[in-house]
Amino acid sequence: MGRYTLRRLLQLIPVLIGTTFIIHFLVWQLPADPFDGRCGQRPCSEAFIARMNEQFHLDEPFYVQYFIFLGKMLTGDFGVSFNQVPVINLIEDAYPNTLKLALVALTIEAVIGVGAGVMTGLKRGGFLDNLVLVSSLFLMALPIVVVAFFMKYLFWAQLGWIEPNVSTEVRWSELIVPGFVLATTSMAFIARLMRANIAENSSADFVKTAKAKGLGSGRVVGVHLLRNSLIPVVTFIGLDLGNLMAGAIVTEGIFNINGVGLTIFRALSLQDATIVVPLATMLVLVYLFMNLLVDLLYGLLDPRIRYE
Amino acid sequence: MSDPQIAAMSRHEDEDRSAHPEMTGQVRSLWSDAWHDLLRKPSFLIPLVIVGLFVLIAIFPGLFTNADPEYAELSKSMQGPSAEAWFGYDLQGRDVFARTIYGARPSIIVGTLAVLLATLFGGLIGIIAGYAGGWIDSLLSRFTEIFLGLPYVLGAIIILSALANTRSGIGSFGIMMIVTLVMALLGWPLVTRIARSAMLAVKHSDYVQAARGLGASPVRIVFKHLLPNALAPIIVIATISVGTFISAEAVLSFLGIGLRPPVISWGVAIADHQNLMRQAAHPVLFPAAALTVVVIAFVMIGDAVREALDPKLR
Repeated sequence: MGRYTLRRLLQLIPVLIGTTFIIHFLVWQLPADPFDGRCGQRPCSEAFIARMNEQFHLDEPFYVQYFIFLGKMLTGDFGVSFNQVPVINLIEDAYPNTLKLALVALTIEAVIGVGAGVMTGLKRGGFLDNLVLVSSLFLMALPIVVVAFFMKYLFWAQLGWIEPNVSTEVRWSELIVPGFVLATTSMAFIARLMRANIAENSSADFVKTAKAKGLGSGRVVGVHLLRNSLIPVVTFIGLDLGNLMAGAIVTEGIFNINGVGLTIFRALSLQDATIVVPLATMLVLVYLFMNLLVDLLYGLLDPRIRYE
Repeated sequence: MSDPQIAAMSRHEDEDRSAHPEMTGQVRSLWSDAWHDLLRKPSFLIPLVIVGLFVLIAIFPGLFTNADPEYAELSKSMQGPSAEAWFGYDLQGRDVFARTIYGARPSIIVGTLAVLLATLFGGLIGIIAGYAGGWIDSLLSRFTEIFLGLPYVLGAIIILSALANTRSGIGSFGIMMIVTLVMALLGWPLVTRIARSAMLAVKHSDYVQAARGLGASPVRIVFKHLLPNALAPIIVIATISVGTFISAEAVLSFLGIGLRPPVISWGVAIADHQNLMRQAAHPVLFPAAALTVVVIAFVMIGDAVREALDPKLR
C-alpha cells in the first residue's frame, strides 16, 4: 500500500505539471493582447503597459512565466489580479460557495440514487424497477441546461417557491434546486450502479451463507448485502466531488451563484488571466487529488483489492 | 493494470471478452449477431427512426418549414403558438418553429463530427498503448492523463474564450469547426482509456494466446483477433457520446462561447429567453424539447448497442 501510494503520487507530478502548463499556456498565450480593451476606448499608455509587463513578467518567454507561476503556487502565493485585488480574496469568497453547492448535490444524489438502487435491486422486474430504469436513462441523457430550465420554470415561474438567482449569502436552502440540477446525471448513474451491485451480490456466496445461517432478512440485506454493494458507489461519489466542483460552472451561471466557476467565467470575459489560472489550477488539483484518494480508498474499503 | 478504477470499470468487459467464443463458420459473428439482435428491439428502432427524422431535418430543413428563420418582425415579439407559427415567435419576433428546425443541422454536425474525431484519435492512441505496452504505454498513458485532468466544461470554456478574439469573420462553418475541434480535443482521452483497457483485455485472452501458439503472424493476430474484439467497447462509447456531445455543445452555446449567430443554435435560444420564462416559455420550451429528444434518442441507441454487443447481458 505504501509503495503504491508513493508511486501514484509520483505519477501525479507530471500530470499536474502538464495540466497546469496547458491551462497557463491557453490563458496567457492564446489571446492576442492581454491589454486589449483594458483601458476603455483608447489604447493603454506606454507607462501602464511597462508597469504591467514588469509586474506580471510579460516580457519573459512563456516558459519562464510558467515557472515563475509554478514557484509562486508552490509557496502559496496566488498573486494579484490586473486590478490589484489579491486572488486569494476571490478564492476565499468563491470556494466555500462551490463546495456548498457540490456537497448539496452529493447529498441529493447519494440519498436518491442509493435509495432507488436498493429498492429496485431487491425487487427486479416490477413496475418500480422499470420506472427507475427508464427515468434514469432519461435523467442521464437530459442536457443540464434543459434540467435547469425545467426546474426554474417549475419552481420560479409557476410555483414561485424560489428566486431566479441565489442571494449573495448563499443559504443552504437556496441551494437545494441548483444542487438537484447539478446532481441529476450522477443520481441516475448511482441508481443504476447500486441496482446492478445489489442484483449481482444477491446471488453471491456470502449472502447465501448468511441466509443459510438463519440470519433475519433485515440483517442479510443491511449488513451483508448493502455494505458490500456500497463499495463502488462510495468510490463513485468520491470521484464525483471533483467532477461536480469543476462542472458546477453551468449551474452557477444559471442560478447566479458566486462560486469558483462563475468567477472563472467572469474573469475570462474580462480577459483577466491572473484570476483564471490560479482558480482553474485549484479546481484541477481538487479533481486530481480526489481521483487519487478514491483509488487509495478503494483498497481500504474492499480488502479483496490488493495493490502490488 | 495499475489503475484500480479502470480495472473496476472494465471488469465486466474483461469477463465478456474471455467468455466470448471463437468465431467459426456456423456461428454468427459478434457483429452480425448484435445486428440481428438490434433489429428486433423497439428500444433501438424507435430512437433510430427519431434520429433518422432529425438527420433528414438537418439535411433538408426547407422540407419542413417555409418560414425564414432569420426573418424578424418585432411587432410579433414573444407571441404564443398559433396556426401561422406553430411554436410562436421569439423575443426578436422570429418564427420559433423555423429556428428549431434550422437548429438541428449545427447540433448534429458538431456532435457527430466531434465524436468521430475524438474516437479516431483517442481510439488509435488507446489501441497503440494497449497493444505496445512497456514504455510506449507509460508515455501515452501519462499524456492522456494530462488531458483527462482537465475537466470538460472548464477546459472547453478556457480554450473557447482564448479563441474568442481570433474568430471574428470566420463564418458559420468556421464557428462550427472551432467548437467541433475543441470538443474533440477534450473528448479523446476518455476513448483512449476505454480502447486501452479493451485492448489489454483482448491481448491476454486465451484465444489470442492460442492463435499465437498456432503460429499466426502478428498482422493476422491484430486484424483478425485483436481489433474486431477490442472495437466493441469503442463503438459503444462512440454511439453514446454523440448524445452527450450534442448536449455539451448546447451547454457551451448556452454559456455564449460555443455556437453563435449566424449559426442557429438551440443552446443560444435557451440562453436568450430563459429569464423571460415568466412571460412566455415557448421560445425556450421548443428548442429545449428538440434538444432533449435528439440527445435521448442517441443515448438510447448507444444503450441498445451496448446491450447487443455485450453477450453477458443476454
